[in-house]
Amino acid sequence: MSKLDPLPGLSPYPLQHFYDEMYADERSIRPHYKHVNRMFSGMSPEELQLKQKTMQRRMMEEGITFTLYNPAQDHPMERTIPFDMIPRIIPKGEWERLEAGIVQRITALNLFIHDIYHEQYIVKDGVVPRRMIISNCYFRPEMSGLRVPGGAYVTTSGIDLIRHHDGEYYVLEDNLRTPSGFSYLFKGRSLMNQLFPELSLASSIRDVDHSLNRFLSVLRSLSPSRTKDPVIALLTPGEYNSAYYEHAFLAQQMGIHLVEGRDLVARDHKVYLKEMNGMRRVDVLYRRLDDDFIDPLAFQPNSLLGVAGLMNAYRAGNIAIANAPGTGVADDKAMYVYVPDMIRYYLNEEPILGNVPTYLLSRTQERQYVLDNLNEMVVKETSLSGGYGMLIGSEASKEELADFRLKILADPVRYIAQPIMSLSRAPVLSGGRMAPRHIDLRAFVLMGADRKPHVIPGGLTRVAMKEGSLVVNSSQGGGVKDTWVMA
Amino acid sequence: MLNRNAEALFWIGRYIERAENHARLIDVHYHIQQEEDFQAEGHKWSRLIDALGVRNEYLQQFEGFCEQDVLSFITLDLGNSNSLFSCVHQARNNLRTLRQHLPSELWDIINSFNLWLGEQSVADILSGPHQFYQQVKERAAMFLGAEQSVMLRGNEWRFIESGRFLERAENTTRILQAVTVSCKSKDINAIYTQLQAVLKSVSGYQAFRRYYADAMSPESILEFLIVNAYFPRSIRFSFHKLEEHLAKLQLDSSEKGSGHERVIRQAGKIKAELDYMEKEEMSGDLVEDVLQSLMGSCQKLGRTMEGAFFRREGVSA
Repeated sequence: MSKLDPLPGLSPYPLQHFYDEMYADERSIRPHYKHVNRMFSGMSPEELQLKQKTMQRRMMEEGITFTLYNPAQDHPMERTIPFDMIPRIIPKGEWERLEAGIVQRITALNLFIHDIYHEQYIVKDGVVPRRMIISNCYFRPEMSGLRVPGGAYVTTSGIDLIRHHDGEYYVLEDNLRTPSGFSYLFKGRSLMNQLFPELSLASSIRDVDHSLNRFLSVLRSLSPSRTKDPVIALLTPGEYNSAYYEHAFLAQQMGIHLVEGRDLVARDHKVYLKEMNGMRRVDVLYRRLDDDFIDPLAFQPNSLLGVAGLMNAYRAGNIAIANAPGTGVADDKAMYVYVPDMIRYYLNEEPILGNVPTYLLSRTQERQYVLDNLNEMVVKETSLSGGYGMLIGSEASKEELADFRLKILADPVRYIAQPIMSLSRAPVLSGGRMAPRHIDLRAFVLMGADRKPHVIPGGLTRVAMKEGSLVVNSSQGGGVKDTWVMA
Repeated sequence: MLNRNAEALFWIGRYIERAENHARLIDVHYHIQQEEDFQAEGHKWSRLIDALGVRNEYLQQFEGFCEQDVLSFITLDLGNSNSLFSCVHQARNNLRTLRQHLPSELWDIINSFNLWLGEQSVADILSGPHQFYQQVKERAAMFLGAEQSVMLRGNEWRFIESGRFLERAENTTRILQAVTVSCKSKDINAIYTQLQAVLKSVSGYQAFRRYYADAMSPESILEFLIVNAYFPRSIRFSFHKLEEHLAKLQLDSSEKGSGHERVIRQAGKIKAELDYMEKEEMSGDLVEDVLQSLMGSCQKLGRTMEGAFFRREGVSA
């Protein structure tokens, strides 16, 4: 008997009623996991723990970290994200369906954003209520009527998906502003290759490296100038941003400039890099700053992070911004409810991927239902992300439930609610053994001026490292897994 | 290269040099203790605080001077922006903002250095101060070695080196100032003991003996540390190197005549002063003025560089 198999009579790997990615039932492994299971079963718990330690140490030494802020501390803590070594595997056919669904969704969302900032047909036709647009804090009137390069608004996006106990994937969230996690995907894969060369050699996994090249060509395609070698810069809030490692990683891998607002200056409706040898014109700016901060002249006047005059240069057509400002109008958690209708409206197709049933608390009936069943709901603030401002009914105390009830009643428009989905589980290594943990999947999509979405094979599997927990966000202690798509 | 990156590189050079200097100074302090009589236990440790010029900062946190508090404050305390750990931490954060431009070996060395310091406690230092500071020196040397052996000799390298030599010149000046001031009222023997400690702190004792084996006077030590042309930690040597690196920066010719030339001119002037310094200037009361003026020149040069390279806002497009 191998060391990781469940012991007879006692099940150390209980499936309960969840869908498990590796185990079809407690005695049988799904076929596409056989190889990986055999390999991890062949290693002793000590060996596995050692590998896990090596991995975490490597990440620390290489500085693959994110920054956690704690007001009680003088200096922000840099942490590595917990990286679990057992990969998540998606079979070919399953991925093809996912990919088609994601492409369909992003295509419709991009059309929606274009429509909202131009004719607003979807509002006129009564599919999306007007107040959803004008009351939306991510709506940017400044973008109205503006032609963006190639009509590509969502250059980068991250679609969060879960698998329910019925085995089906559901879209949980569309992240259309500037989603994070690319670096963990690419770096995770290369660390896995270093640590387990035998594992990846023996399986045919779809490669992710070419997606990095794709990333660069997508950014280049947006360049408004005809120069052969456009100047591309990644705009970061700086080294204290929690995703700074990712910014540095992407800039390094793509060979683009890593800049902060103070490195740029806008003159005569053009944006320049302040270099030792003078000024250099920027063609494409991949910004990793929220809309509010990119240009103090156009948006928040007290922001020190952005570039004064950037929006004027953008309006003059002298620079491309990825992602375009104002894309958040479509990734508001309340707007999410309308995405299946957008797909039908713009593409005349049925959605391939379903939404999680969602209640808008602004609607009286839905609100009443949610309040009556609060302990079975996840309630989210529409404008917050990263697992903040969230209530998980089943995990909350009586006081927390009562508190949230008051918050909802005070400002129902701010919240949506969803039934608690039973996220699928996958084994993680815990103390040298396999233990089930809940997971989701962030699929990354890149779209250039040709408006053909490219889905990076696999994406990033996020893991709730705490037993039983449903919270997978890295800011809340979640971890990640390498994600394989079988070729 | 972005202006900000140039500044970060310059400060990487300074911070690593400063960390190394701190380690040398603290380490050698143990030698002085053995050779000199101190009236009180506290005095031993307060002198170390003074040599690093952080008395006010220290007294905001502590009331008295004891070995544990002093070592912890000047070595490991991230709240003290001038502690050894702070220097390494800053250098590491600076390097983090330009990893993509530098050989990854440099990042690996400095990040490990930073991680290692983060794991140390004051107990680790107390269990073997000499070994501890020796390790710091070795890690700094490792960084220097990698930088010397793998970096392209472009502007990136020149900025790190400029930072290093400006910091070194300033540092040697500051240590000598501390000695000449504190020994003013004492007899020749006390000055001599202290200068000897300074020599050791810059690892110059053996080199010095090759020049002045038969005349170990305070004057000769001062002369050696200020104007020797071959000792890499003398002030004159540092300025020769500094001027060379500044002059070899490859900047757009259209930008010349402005800040860059001023920087070179200033460094050259200080270098020339050191080249033509008379022996008499390095003894007695005169040396204090010389050191004072050198310190002023170092600081002025730092400010000029800042204006010339790092803070330019003008647009030429």
